[in-house]
Amino acid sequence: MMLMRDLFGLSLHNLLLHKVRSILTSLGVIFGVGSVIAMLAISEGAKRSALAQIEAMGIDKIILFSKRPPVDGKSESSDNAGVMERYGLSAKDVSNIMKMDNIERITTVFDARKKVLKGLQRTDLKLIGCDYQFLQDSSAKIEKGRWFSPADYQNNALVCVIGKNVKRRLFAIGDTDVVGGSIRIEDMVFRIVGIVDNVYGTQYPEIGGQNDMIFIPITTARALYKDYTFVREGYAYKITRIEYDLFLVKIADTSYIDNTSKRIARYLEKAHTDTKDWGMVVPLELLRQRERTQNIFTIVMGSIAGISLVVGGIGIMNIMLASVFERRKEIGTRRALGAQKADILLQFLIETVFLTSLGGIIGITLGVGIGSAITYYSKMPTIYSAWSIILSLAISSITGVIFGTYPAYKAAQQNPITVLRAE
Amino acid sequence: MPDKEVHQSGDIVRLIDIRKTYITGDLQVPVLKGIHATVKRGEFVGFIGTSGSGKSTLLNILGMLDVPTAGQYFLEETEVSQLTDVEQATIRNRKIGFIFQSFNLFPHLSVEENIEVPMIYGRIAGRIRRKRALDLAQRVGLGHRLGHRPTQLSGGECQRIAIARALSNNPAFILADEPTGNLDEKTSDEIMKLFHELNREQGVTIVMVTHNPALGPHYDKIIRLRDGRIDETLLEWEVKKQEHAVFKEIEEQRDKAEVEINEVTQ
Ligand SMILES: Nc1ncnc2c1ncn2[C@@H]1O[C@H](COP(=O)(O)OP(=O)(O)OP(=O)(O)O)[C@@H](O)[C@H]1O
Ligand SMILES: [Mg+2]
Repeated sequence: MMLMRDLFGLSLHNLLLHKVRSILTSLGVIFGVGSVIAMLAISEGAKRSALAQIEAMGIDKIILFSKRPPVDGKSESSDNAGVMERYGLSAKDVSNIMKMDNIERITTVFDARKKVLKGLQRTDLKLIGCDYQFLQDSSAKIEKGRWFSPADYQNNALVCVIGKNVKRRLFAIGDTDVVGGSIRIEDMVFRIVGIVDNVYGTQYPEIGGQNDMIFIPITTARALYKDYTFVREGYAYKITRIEYDLFLVKIADTSYIDNTSKRIARYLEKAHTDTKDWGMVVPLELLRQRERTQNIFTIVMGSIAGISLVVGGIGIMNIMLASVFERRKEIGTRRALGAQKADILLQFLIETVFLTSLGGIIGITLGVGIGSAITYYSKMPTIYSAWSIILSLAISSITGVIFGTYPAYKAAQQNPITVLRAE
Repeated sequence: MPDKEVHQSGDIVRLIDIRKTYITGDLQVPVLKGIHATVKRGEFVGFIGTSGSGKSTLLNILGMLDVPTAGQYFLEETEVSQLTDVEQATIRNRKIGFIFQSFNLFPHLSVEENIEVPMIYGRIAGRIRRKRALDLAQRVGLGHRLGHRPTQLSGGECQRIAIARALSNNPAFILADEPTGNLDEKTSDEIMKLFHELNREQGVTIVMVTHNPALGPHYDKIIRLRDGRIDETLLEWEVKKQEHAVFKEIEEQRDKAEVEINEVTQ
């Protein structure tokens, strides 16, 4: 048998002879691989940004939140309209949950439910009281200025830290002295000490995006607002009393997070007997779910890719069979000059594998091009993972082996005399 | 050992009662009906005979491209029907040099690369291949054409390259099926002269199928096939004595056949 190097050289030479035809032949594989790469990149991008958002809530946390209980037919709230409505997480919940195993700490958050105005316009910005650890337990970073100091908490200081969007919404673009300036909310004035940015734009259940919040120390919030809210409903004022809106429960060991979350849920069900006035989000669980759906998506994508590669492979097989017929004089001559059947077989097989691998490489380039174009025009993120590229290459080569074997076998089986006589 | 005798007698090829019958459908077409022949080392043997007499068939059997229906073929002591595919390919590669009427050069390879093909199948390293290709091209008078493509060469030049290619692995003998069939008279003479030189000066054994009466004097031995059998074997001096009578006869037969064909078609 001839040397591998010569064999590769020969196959490559034959492909380069018919450049246009080679490319046309591998078109099926090119588009198959191209679309797969592009779609994988898009789905990977979508997945990563979704996962990043989930992760930004903290995979070592359980998030508990207060929510207004559903109003059923014989609800007392309709009978006692105008009377105080009371629901949600309480200080008792904090101390009871803290007693459980595997709980490291609970960061509490309270929504003061104050109207934040810009000029005379009401905004959906929120005035939020939070614990000192909140910065650490959220995925926000200080962009400018500082976070609260322990002294701010002790002194119930009238200071606030604003989210990135708050700055954008309430201040002019070029405004450089935002930090150090002040905000008036209803009849209170707060000095701005810092700006925080959450790049993931983390959304908390019920109270919304972190970048839209104006934070004040929770002690200040209590001192100013207790835990009462007056909400005007038609001609009546309604008093709502909610002690806490959000708990960020940090878990010590995430491998037991399932048990811990179940235990907390059981406790809350028992403690809040009448009403379902609380909710729970386990980011890690969301993450797992998301990954599961992602796997299904990947399987579907893989099947589509498989079909397009099979179609491409059949096309290549067809052309290779025609090529064997076209080149039977060459085959006969090679045999007469001492080529073994194996030499002929490998020559054609390697040619097909080169063809599909070339298709794979062009397809990857095409896919990356399409993906980049999509990112450029629609701002959808795309991510090209190394494994998707390696896998595409491997699969396109394997396609060559699968669909090249029969034509190569045919070529090797050509009877040298009949092919030499046919002129 | 009987083979010993063969070897000592210097026979490269020994054919014993070679038969070939083609079967097309229900029809059996006997083409070779018992050929006995030998080729000695250094001999220049010509096969002549009317069209369809089985010359090419016999040559293909000699080249192991075809298998006889019956009979034995000894190539340097070895009975080739006993060999595996791979061994046959190796023998074709090392011991036999093929030359075709239509040259069968690879049009997309350069002259140099064409000459190298048998050496590639012989697993000879690239450096040695190139040196040998140059030597051989020079020997056939085309040392200055190494980089050209066969399409840029004349028919005679192409056949010279084919000869160089056939010689590249130093074969035991050369098989040529009407190598001058596609060439004009003058070029044919030159090619025959080249064969003659290779045979006389370098001792290359040549087995050639031919039609051309003017080429008679080059052969050591002429074997005439008729109807699948050896009609007669003429040695060199007999060929000369008969002043190409043999060839004339064939020419006449062929002309007659053509006339007949013309009559049929008209
Ligand atoms: N595959 C085949 N099947 C059937 N008959 C065949 C086959 N190959 C050759 N023949 C027949 O065998 C006979 C001898 O053919 P061959 O080619 O050996 O003749 P030839 O002496 O070389 O003739 P020419 O001088 O025209 O080349 C012819 O009658 C041909 O039709
Ligand atoms: Mg013939």
